[in-house]
Amino acid sequence: MSAPNARRRLNDQTAVGLLLAGPAMLGLFLFILAPFLVALALAFTNLRLGSPLPLEFVGVKQFERIFTDPDFLRALSNNLLFASTVVPLQTALALGLALLLNRGLRGTVVFRTLFFMPVVFPMSLVAVVWVLIYAPGPEGMMNGFLDLVTLGAWEPRDFLRDPMLAMPALMLLSIWQGAGFQMVILLAGLQQIPEELYEAAALDGAGRWSQFRHVTLPQLRNSLVFVVLVTSILAFRLFDQVQIMTRGGPDGATTTVIYEAVQAVFTRQQVARASAMTVVFFLLVLALTWLQRRLARQEREIG
Amino acid sequence: MKASRLGRLGSYLALTGLALLFLAPLAMMLAGSLKPNERVLVEAGTLAAFLPVGASLDNYAAVFERTDFLRFLFNSVFITGTIVAAGLIVNALAAYAFARLQWRGRDLLFNLVLALMILPFEAIAVPLFYGASILGLRDTYIVQILPFIANAFSIYLFYSFFIGLPRELEEAASLDGASTLRIFFAVIVPNSKPAFASVAILSFLTWWGSYLWPLLVTIVPEVRPLPVAIASFYTLPPLQWGDILAFGTLMVMPVLAVFLMFQRWFVRGVASSAIKG
Amino acid sequence: MFLVTSLILLTACGHDNSDSTDACVTVWAHAGQESERSVLIEQVSRFNARETDCRVRLTLIPEGSYNAQVQAAAVAGGLPDLLELDGPFLYAYAWQGRLQPLDRLLPADLQADLLPSILEQGRYHDRLWAVGTFDSGLGLFADRVQLRQAGIRIPDLKAPWGAAEFEEILEHLATRDADGQVLDLKLNYAGEWYTYGYTPLIQSAGGDLVARTDPARAEGVLDGPSSVGAMRRIQSWILRGRVDPNIDDAAFATRRVALALGGHWNHPRYSERLGEDLLLLPLPDLGHGPKTGQGSWCWAVSADSTHPDGAARFLAFLLEPDQVLAMTAANGAVPATRRAVARSPRYRPGGPLDLFVEQLDGGYAVPRPSTPAYPVITAEFQKAFDRIRSGGEVQAALRHAARTIDLEIEDNQGYPLVGRAREETVR
Repeated sequence: MSAPNARRRLNDQTAVGLLLAGPAMLGLFLFILAPFLVALALAFTNLRLGSPLPLEFVGVKQFERIFTDPDFLRALSNNLLFASTVVPLQTALALGLALLLNRGLRGTVVFRTLFFMPVVFPMSLVAVVWVLIYAPGPEGMMNGFLDLVTLGAWEPRDFLRDPMLAMPALMLLSIWQGAGFQMVILLAGLQQIPEELYEAAALDGAGRWSQFRHVTLPQLRNSLVFVVLVTSILAFRLFDQVQIMTRGGPDGATTTVIYEAVQAVFTRQQVARASAMTVVFFLLVLALTWLQRRLARQEREIG
Repeated sequence: MKASRLGRLGSYLALTGLALLFLAPLAMMLAGSLKPNERVLVEAGTLAAFLPVGASLDNYAAVFERTDFLRFLFNSVFITGTIVAAGLIVNALAAYAFARLQWRGRDLLFNLVLALMILPFEAIAVPLFYGASILGLRDTYIVQILPFIANAFSIYLFYSFFIGLPRELEEAASLDGASTLRIFFAVIVPNSKPAFASVAILSFLTWWGSYLWPLLVTIVPEVRPLPVAIASFYTLPPLQWGDILAFGTLMVMPVLAVFLMFQRWFVRGVASSAIKG
Repeated sequence: MFLVTSLILLTACGHDNSDSTDACVTVWAHAGQESERSVLIEQVSRFNARETDCRVRLTLIPEGSYNAQVQAAAVAGGLPDLLELDGPFLYAYAWQGRLQPLDRLLPADLQADLLPSILEQGRYHDRLWAVGTFDSGLGLFADRVQLRQAGIRIPDLKAPWGAAEFEEILEHLATRDADGQVLDLKLNYAGEWYTYGYTPLIQSAGGDLVARTDPARAEGVLDGPSSVGAMRRIQSWILRGRVDPNIDDAAFATRRVALALGGHWNHPRYSERLGEDLLLLPLPDLGHGPKTGQGSWCWAVSADSTHPDGAARFLAFLLEPDQVLAMTAANGAVPATRRAVARSPRYRPGGPLDLFVEQLDGGYAVPRPSTPAYPVITAEFQKAFDRIRSGGEVQAALRHAARTIDLEIEDNQGYPLVGRAREETVR
């Protein structure tokens, strides 16, 4: 192929390439990249929705404000608490389910379907239904259940209005709704582990536990890292349950970064302040992603 | 892995116990939706919560009477359906351009796509909300659809699939002088059904339950989708739990039916999301 | 294509009634209790049947985030001709130039017939921006039997219980009560109730949420000695175990407590349960006379309305005695006009709830601060109260709230009247 020919061909493809990628790239520019840059810029202004006063640049004032705002700090720590509790619990539950389903038992598909079912439920519906489950007094379902398993020792509580119990209550339903998703990913990871590895380990005299530690976990590492990342990011996006079930209460026990941002922009029209909050949120997500990429890469280097 | 008989029994017991816990809220919702309103809360703490004693469809009738349920359902189907359908075309075309064509700016743009993948919607919700408000686009379908069609992760999923397709498929067609677009529709699409199914299912799961955005930009029932409709139905006095559960049941039934029919595809689609790592 | 469909959906108003030209008044209202909703829907159809050249099209919006939704819709001129607002939020709309004054739209005799509390709530920069068809009443419900058994004097507005007297009563009642919880403060309500229900006690002690200056100011007032003192009292009632948490919302109705702070909306259930034993009393006097709350939903005409006269005509219709009585019969609230009050079996002089009218008419009711900062004031007060009720330091909680409120007012340069709002006030 001669050189001019190749260039013409390249040029032809540039036109076609731009044409094909154009609509999607335009969408990404307009609705993701541009808004993101705007959010960055707005965080340094005093913009308010509908204010008749002029727009001003205020430097890092919004960041100073939110980092001295006890509610926002509470929100950050709630998100961290949620992530540090839900991520290990949900991952362990999903892994347990995946291991049980990977034993080649009859009826596996039925169970897998059941465990996955909550995933197709919109979170807002789940939240509304669980308000009923958490109903105060002995007639509430959760109170009734706890009364049953503690053989009557349980004192009925008002879960969603109890500063100690409101956050655990949100965690539980989030795990219920999300575990199936993680389970499916881990199950796919498990099924890719070659049977020979287990056979070799068994020949070496490795027991169940040893096989799990030295074959399953290392082989599943990338899937686990992914699941942990996705669950952590979801923990920082926590909003629907809070808005519907507790409105951040009682006394800030369930407020979150996104809930605070929505409160700022939606009920107080503080666009700039909310932008600053979402920038902080983005930096957290970025840090998590970076961490996951590093962990996953390490694995590749070793492997 | 082979399991001993005892191990198998233990596994079944564990699975059954867990399945009951997973099913309890769903069973309660279904049973409660059939019960008289005042009995739902009273019986929630007992086993009667799962038994639709005195079952009737009154609550379902009340849902249609008290809310514009069919309108909400239509809105949800229309909004999600359009995002998914338009997203399949737009993102697959872009992915194809990235995976197969040689063009200037390709690598730069593709890196941008990879970078945008990590940007969650919440990070851009504030400026989008501000824009929608000042442009007067609130309470429209367009504001609930257009921003979500182009999707970096969908592009990446398609890209990963296309890059693994054998090149011979297209080369045969291109010798026949077929245009790029024709090759895409005649050769690539028919050979990429799993990728299309995965992307469709993942984006469906993402947008069908979307709550934050419609909460921010819709106020009139004419354009509100189901997730915000159920939340506001729950706050609409009088609090009638039977009606709320009937609304919830009506809301998940169609999706559940689709899921049960295509559950293999759902599972495969979700599993494929993990290739991101 | 989708844009077209949706635009048609949104502009469909006006196409359905062909014979009248473009006379179509759009109305937004919050979706309240079922009985309220059906009265309003009925009123719309009655109005539409009566008027030939003016038709009303009503959209009911769930209460959940009504204010936030409407605020956002206002930015791009998306408001209907007539809209319902939660009273204390209306100043923000007026300041942003979203409303037009009502005083030149409503007949003078109608305005003269309104209760003073309604006019006070609707006033901002000397214009009237909104009027309600009903007002709220706040009082202390009491169980006549339990008071009589304990030998407690029944107070009235002229001779209310004093602060020390009230606390003695609580202790005295507690000695006769199984769990010592004798007062219901509706701690289960949260939200706007905190501000509405408890600031009258602060005001009775000589404090307030903000100084009623222009611009308003919270520091030295909300965290001043009078407000702190009043909140310390309330906190001590709670921490000493005199207050029922009311989780089941039935503390008073089941006669678990003898006293309940409550509003007009509680009356139907209470009178059904207690019958002749139900008493309605003024709040205790913490030093500066008994005070009470006021204010409720009200109607305003948007600045961009193309049919302000039609909107005002519908509003005047809603303020006719028959309509006011129909609405207040449904929601139990205080009728907004004197003519309706005179005909109301519950509120006319000698009626069981005439105390509410006396309070609103006699200067006992304190309007909530008429500043666009109100949404922040109430949000901060609610948070502070949440802290105080669970034992937090009163002074610190109120000081934080006061600072946040003042910062908000400062950020808005004290809400100078500029732009559209200025034009509207001189219209």
